[in-house]
Amino acid sequence: MNFNRSSIALFLDPSSTAIMEYEKGEKFNVILSPSLYWVKKIALPVKSVREVKKLLESIFEDSLPEGHYSYTAYKSGDEFLVFAYEDKKILALLNAKGINTVDISSIYFAQNEFSSLEGALKINATQSMYLKDEVLVLAPSSWISESRELDLSSVALSKRTIKLQQFGHIVDNKSLYRVGAILVTLAIILMVEIFVASSKKDAIVELQDEVFSKYKLQSTMFQNRSTKSKYKNIHKTQTKLRQYISYFLTMKLKKMQKIILIEYKNRILYVTLRGAEKGQERSITSQLDSKGVKYKVSYSGENMKVEMKI
Amino acid sequence: MNQINPLQIGALLVVILAFLFFKLYGVKAELVEATANYKESEKLAVEVSSLKAVYANKKKIKNAINRILTQGSLQEASLDVKRDKKSIKISSKSIETKALNSLMGKILNGSYNVTTLKIKRLSETKASLEMEIQW
Repeated sequence: MNFNRSSIALFLDPSSTAIMEYEKGEKFNVILSPSLYWVKKIALPVKSVREVKKLLESIFEDSLPEGHYSYTAYKSGDEFLVFAYEDKKILALLNAKGINTVDISSIYFAQNEFSSLEGALKINATQSMYLKDEVLVLAPSSWISESRELDLSSVALSKRTIKLQQFGHIVDNKSLYRVGAILVTLAIILMVEIFVASSKKDAIVELQDEVFSKYKLQSTMFQNRSTKSKYKNIHKTQTKLRQYISYFLTMKLKKMQKIILIEYKNRILYVTLRGAEKGQERSITSQLDSKGVKYKVSYSGENMKVEMKI
Repeated sequence: MNQINPLQIGALLVVILAFLFFKLYGVKAELVEATANYKESEKLAVEVSSLKAVYANKKKIKNAINRILTQGSLQEASLDVKRDKKSIKISSKSIETKALNSLMGKILNGSYNVTTLKIKRLSETKASLEMEIQW
């Protein structure tokens, strides 16, 4: 095997015993030996490479050994060149040769880079490559009478590069894209949900501001709750005051019993009745009891003073 | 040609999703809180507004009391009326019970904040009155 090095490209062949030489950090290209990929030249009733790529797996279905393959295709005249290769195998070889993938600029198939090859080229100690029906094939060097040494300095690299799937053995691309698509779709749905919920919240906050300005509310809910509590208390007190006064004004009194004073201050209602001295008060207190009024009674001569907290 | 491990991309997506779920939960909680606040504000606004209209509308209360005080049955009652910024004080050292009944009937049947009241019986037909209404 030759591991010929040019300023721009290296030829990678599994049977090569040549020591890899390159400066760390320097970017270079790699041309894959025909022994690192499978190629077919076929005519298909489709027009675009994109359509061919959908068929690649089935094209190679019965002709490849067991393995995890990546596929690619290129147009070649009226026909298509279809390739199958094992990323893991190529990466393992690069690793075995001490090549860091970070330093690789692009990877090429020898098929594309030597499509105009004339004669044969030695790629390692025992094998040479040559074009047969426009397909680059390998043959023992001993079968070929004239085989030149591989020289990459005169090779003008094409634009037909591939990218090795370093993690293709972990997850295949289809599954990866499927899972990725699901996760991205889910993320988009969540983002839309967040946007909708956020918009709704903003609209509600705006409505709340409108309520505040329409009803001339104070700036904080705490203040408004306090105001409501204040006026609720007033309403409750005034309702109770009127209720208690009405109990006395509609009370059935004995002939000698008269209300002589009604006084309300500091939320306490006092009603003084004449002719209701101790022992005579039963007719009055029983009526208050039946209404559920809480009261205190005090006496001064013939007067009875009823005290009620409002 | 260095590539990112798809598991790392997956992990990143999962982290992003977790963040989005967390964010959505927060926004939804804010929405629920905003809705509750809005409903409470609306209810509170109606209550405060109606309570204020009854007990804190100075102009309306003053006009209503003036109308009561100028009615025919109270024309002859010697009522002492004092008005200030926060209240009105109505008093009489001696008022006919008929006039007193008329006055108190209207005050107690209306929604006024009576803060002090003193009605003292003087005779069968007379009473004294002290009353303060605030707003």
